[in-house]
Amino acid sequence: MGEGLRDKVAIVGVGCCQFGENWDQSPSDMIVDAAYEAYADAGIDDPQRRIDAVFTGSLYSQKGPHECSDALKLWKPVTLVSNYCATGTDAFRCGVFSIAAGVYDTVLVVGYDKPKDRGVSGPTVMMNQVRDLPQTAAGWFALCAATYFEKYGAGREELARIAVKNHKNGTLAPKSFLKREITVEEALGARMISWPFGLYDCAAQTDGAAAVILTRADLAKSFRPDPVSVRGVTVFAGPNPQKDPGNDFLSWKPTVWAAQDAYRQAGISDPRRQIDVAQLHDCFTLTELLSYEDLGFCEKGSAKEHIASGTFALGGELPVNTDGGLKAFGHPTGATGVRMLYENVLQLRGQAGPRQVNGAAVALSHNIGGHPTACGIAILARD
Amino acid sequence: MAGILSYGAYVPPTRIGFATLAGRPAKPDVSGPERSVAWADEDSVTMGVAAAASCLRGFDRASVDALFFASTTHPFLEKQTAALVARALDLRRDVATADHAGSLRAGTTALRAAADAVAAGSARRVLVIASDCRLGAPGSTLEQGFGDGAAAFLLGDADEIASFEAWHAVSDEIVDVWRSQADPFVHSWEERFVVQEGFLPNLVEAVRGLLSKLEGGPAGPTRAALYAPDERSFASAARALRLAEGQLQDPLFGRLGNTGAAFAPMLLAAALEQARPGERLIVASYGDGAEALALRVSSQIEKLEPRRGVAWHLARRRPVQSHQHYLRARGLGEREYQPARDAGLSATIHFRDRDADLSFKGQRCRGCGAVQFPIQRVCETCFRKDDFELLRLSDRTGRVVTYTFDYFFPTPEPPTIVTITEVEGARIHLQLVNARPEQTRPGLPVELVFRRIHQVGGRPNYYWKATPLPEGDV
Repeated sequence: MGEGLRDKVAIVGVGCCQFGENWDQSPSDMIVDAAYEAYADAGIDDPQRRIDAVFTGSLYSQKGPHECSDALKLWKPVTLVSNYCATGTDAFRCGVFSIAAGVYDTVLVVGYDKPKDRGVSGPTVMMNQVRDLPQTAAGWFALCAATYFEKYGAGREELARIAVKNHKNGTLAPKSFLKREITVEEALGARMISWPFGLYDCAAQTDGAAAVILTRADLAKSFRPDPVSVRGVTVFAGPNPQKDPGNDFLSWKPTVWAAQDAYRQAGISDPRRQIDVAQLHDCFTLTELLSYEDLGFCEKGSAKEHIASGTFALGGELPVNTDGGLKAFGHPTGATGVRMLYENVLQLRGQAGPRQVNGAAVALSHNIGGHPTACGIAILARD
Repeated sequence: MAGILSYGAYVPPTRIGFATLAGRPAKPDVSGPERSVAWADEDSVTMGVAAAASCLRGFDRASVDALFFASTTHPFLEKQTAALVARALDLRRDVATADHAGSLRAGTTALRAAADAVAAGSARRVLVIASDCRLGAPGSTLEQGFGDGAAAFLLGDADEIASFEAWHAVSDEIVDVWRSQADPFVHSWEERFVVQEGFLPNLVEAVRGLLSKLEGGPAGPTRAALYAPDERSFASAARALRLAEGQLQDPLFGRLGNTGAAFAPMLLAAALEQARPGERLIVASYGDGAEALALRVSSQIEKLEPRRGVAWHLARRRPVQSHQHYLRARGLGEREYQPARDAGLSATIHFRDRDADLSFKGQRCRGCGAVQFPIQRVCETCFRKDDFELLRLSDRTGRVVTYTFDYFFPTPEPPTIVTITEVEGARIHLQLVNARPEQTRPGLPVELVFRRIHQVGGRPNYYWKATPLPEGDV
């Protein structure tokens, strides 16, 4: 194993467009909104000169890396990353590594997706093979429910409480899609998507773009006085849980393995104490629940008690999804990981307004995607 | 002597009451006349595979030299059903395959061709499958009278449970019941014409001709399995042939329905289920003429392990809730979009994946012994490369590991039950059919069934699904 990042890379600018059903915006429009906000945040008024390279992430990109460079007219080295829901974090990782390797000084990372141009509101049922049907993300992520519920006694009500929390947090984030609180009863009574997931257990699929600007740690203060340091970033692959003979359907291996790598890089041994705020991948409520445990925020099987006691609520010991998460902020797949970095940077700078976690010094973001087969984790800290 | 070594049958558990067909809601506590219905993921191919799997139980599949598949509802006009079914059943590469089609007596014609092949020595064992699921126009008498089902027979020349004694056929040209290309529904000329000029004279002539060929002149059969389009014409035929009530194999009207080219073969299977050594069975089918055959049951029948026959399947029923459900299941309901007639699945991928997707073969690692699915290069468990033996999983049982109920997958009756099922240690993502959500649980024992998985490209695409291991299994 290498020596790790050791605070070689800093975030000096973040931007995020309004997430939602952006009927009147093209991918380019959203990319411009996010990137120019990040430029301004970093104090960059001449991106043509200051940005050395672009790392972009999109799952549904129609035009490849050109979509981003054409929108911004940045004729630079451009990379397009695609890795399911870990896409945004993976684009960020590539940007971080390019600076840590000493190849570039300052790079732009953009994550975006535009699912609302497809004409359907829910998940796509993928019908391009005969195996593994039906193929919906809800169907994949639901497969831990029967086994987990049976073993640990949690149920749909615990899931509903996660949705209620994230809906509430979403009302506090200006750029979130859903700004409506819901009740446990509403969540439990919603129509079924894929048992145990009702409508409110599923993330809001939206359009969106988010951007961060990375630079060498020693240059960071020339952009702004409060840079945020990258302590660790990883994207881990795991076996397809559907055919993995060793899978117990009580946790998702990619998260467990990615956490080990990210914690090693960042020097974290007691995550619940050492991490102050976290953005977790709540594509479905159960994904957030399992991630509490798979990330070591609590013991396996104990999520139920922590949900009841509010450990992960705003004001709790370790607030999770302070901006509403995928559930309420929205989930444009390629943008999500970068949007989480945006929120964590605001939290670490103390700029998160009514959802601010007091004194937040270390922040974690987490994505898990595919069957799920890929997990991305980024750990940031106040410089 | 050529004869039948084994048999199997299949009747879909879905049954629709005549009252439901007429638009009245199904009442669970009221039993009335009904018919079998192939459900949305079933067709003549899948029913035929199920009947054959039961027929072949306990027999070496590699011993099958030829496969004949008879139906009036082959899924393709050009492309052989028998070749697809041979692959699904994992028969030998050098199996001789042929489709019999186009006539309601295709099932008995295939039986005769198979018996001739065995008698001539060109094949030692021949598998014959007759399977049909015909469509009557919604609201028509034919829709009510039809049923869906399949029968399969393994023919050979040693250890027969019943030996062929004689055959007789007559050919006739008559436009009585027909379906032209691109027409989904069967048409019929006036019923009285069909029976008086088509069915009755042909069937009676074929049976009388058969009986005259049997040793010692027309000695009556112990039991007669007669095709008939409906109950009334069945009674007319029995009367004309002077067959007593006790000599008639129950034609199952009001329970099974007229299963077309599979009807007479299914009644033969039903007769074999009850047959005793020494009995003489006659079977007669009708369609563009008629065909009759006689069999003598041997003592070997007492040694044959029980099969899943017609009676076994009829005892397992699931009433269809409404005519609307039936129409959706058969693809007759209104839809916002017609299925796209695009290129569909990649034929190249289908070709590459035949062993996994059709023969349902997994692999066993020669290093660590772990069984896995699908076929892959590097062992999931010990990481050894390219050191596997293939293993047919379709005839194994498994157990559900976990599940979800998917409300998005297009199906006439949501939700679709989706499982991870373990078969011989391999974890496989499979739909669970003929199961209720409330009976689904980790550990549920299942078996595997060949089904249509979807119709992408405007053609049926087949794969395997899990179904709860039935109680009272044979």
